[in-house]
Amino acid sequence: MWRSVIDGLRLTFHLAGINNQNFLMRDEETGTYWQQISGRAVSGPMAGKVLTLVPSDELSFKLWKSEQPQGTVVKDVAAYVHEYSPENWDVEMARARTVLSFPEPGMKQRDIIMGVTAFGASRAFRYDALLREKLVMDHVGLEPVMVAVGPDGASVRIFRRRISGVEPVTDFYRVEGQAALFIDAATGSGWNFQGCAISGKLQGTCLERVETIKDYWFDWRNYHPDTSIFAGTARH
Amino acid sequence: MKTRRPGWRFVLLWLLAGAVAWALLIYPIYVIRPFRYQGARELLVALAVIRFRPIGMVLAVAGVFAAAIWYWRSERRKLRRFLSAVCVVNIAVPAVLSRVNIFELMFHPAGTPTVSAASESKLDGNEMVIAVKVNGSARAFPIRSMSYHHIYNDVVAGEPIVATY
Repeated sequence: MWRSVIDGLRLTFHLAGINNQNFLMRDEETGTYWQQISGRAVSGPMAGKVLTLVPSDELSFKLWKSEQPQGTVVKDVAAYVHEYSPENWDVEMARARTVLSFPEPGMKQRDIIMGVTAFGASRAFRYDALLREKLVMDHVGLEPVMVAVGPDGASVRIFRRRISGVEPVTDFYRVEGQAALFIDAATGSGWNFQGCAISGKLQGTCLERVETIKDYWFDWRNYHPDTSIFAGTARH
Repeated sequence: MKTRRPGWRFVLLWLLAGAVAWALLIYPIYVIRPFRYQGARELLVALAVIRFRPIGMVLAVAGVFAAAIWYWRSERRKLRRFLSAVCVVNIAVPAVLSRVNIFELMFHPAGTPTVSAASESKLDGNEMVIAVKVNGSARAFPIRSMSYHHIYNDVVAGEPIVATY
């Protein structure tokens, strides 16, 4: 998700090609080609420039709606609904072959990961491991982070674990059957999936969100050759 | 022999221009096709070809068209005149095809997005969406439609964005 304005010029993008199974878009104003995953211009008058990232979340509709009841949803384009993928399209895609291969023990090329690039490092969290563990205390580079699965059991968010005025960095624990989704070990405050304390001493405090993207392993690894992998606590 | 020279010259020019025009059309398709590995250098060459080929196509079509006029004037046999006209039409085929965006034929563009209120949406609760919040306004892009259109050029709270998947 990117801002469409760069150097004061508003761009209109079109699907224009594919680069090792990550698509290219072309803007009609300058004819520049942009890589979808990186927002980087790869060919044309604006080559080398990078679009500005717009933070986004991949959530289930019910979870998003509960958080943003006043929000708006983009409608299907009626003329093409019959061409949309079936509901199990991700299962079908998992079987599709890839043109790149980055062998890694226990990883298939189309395994889904949550990728993070922050704090001078890249890290890929296996999506299936996150769904299994629901709450993970980990690091990206040297920075302590918390990876949390939402109450819908499908959505994932990542937060920095540093809280102003709380030393040392605290761990969090998942709780069930309460308004809060997890509590911190330092103060016992209750936190929701938006990363905000809703009860206890830290009520009103919010954790800093870390941008993450859901991607296939091969695609993530192609653009983040130095990435480390979180495959599950049991494997560490 | 002298009477055959204009014809051969025209045919040679037509073959040369045709080879160039078809190469400009086919090379990027060959390189940038799904389920094929794209090397970094060949991709850049293919994209450069796409960017600059309108010039090549115009030159090829204009060259063959001018040569056909010249040939038409020097040739009185109707069949050969007719064939020279066919050559002009033939050279225009790759030029016209090069204007077609194959990817947007496969996955039609979404156009300007229309939205509904979250409370009125018929979307299934378990469907995944890509969600953004811009200047306090929240918008969700259902992944099932995004995985088809791939790109939405949208404006949220006055901010132009491009949603991609």
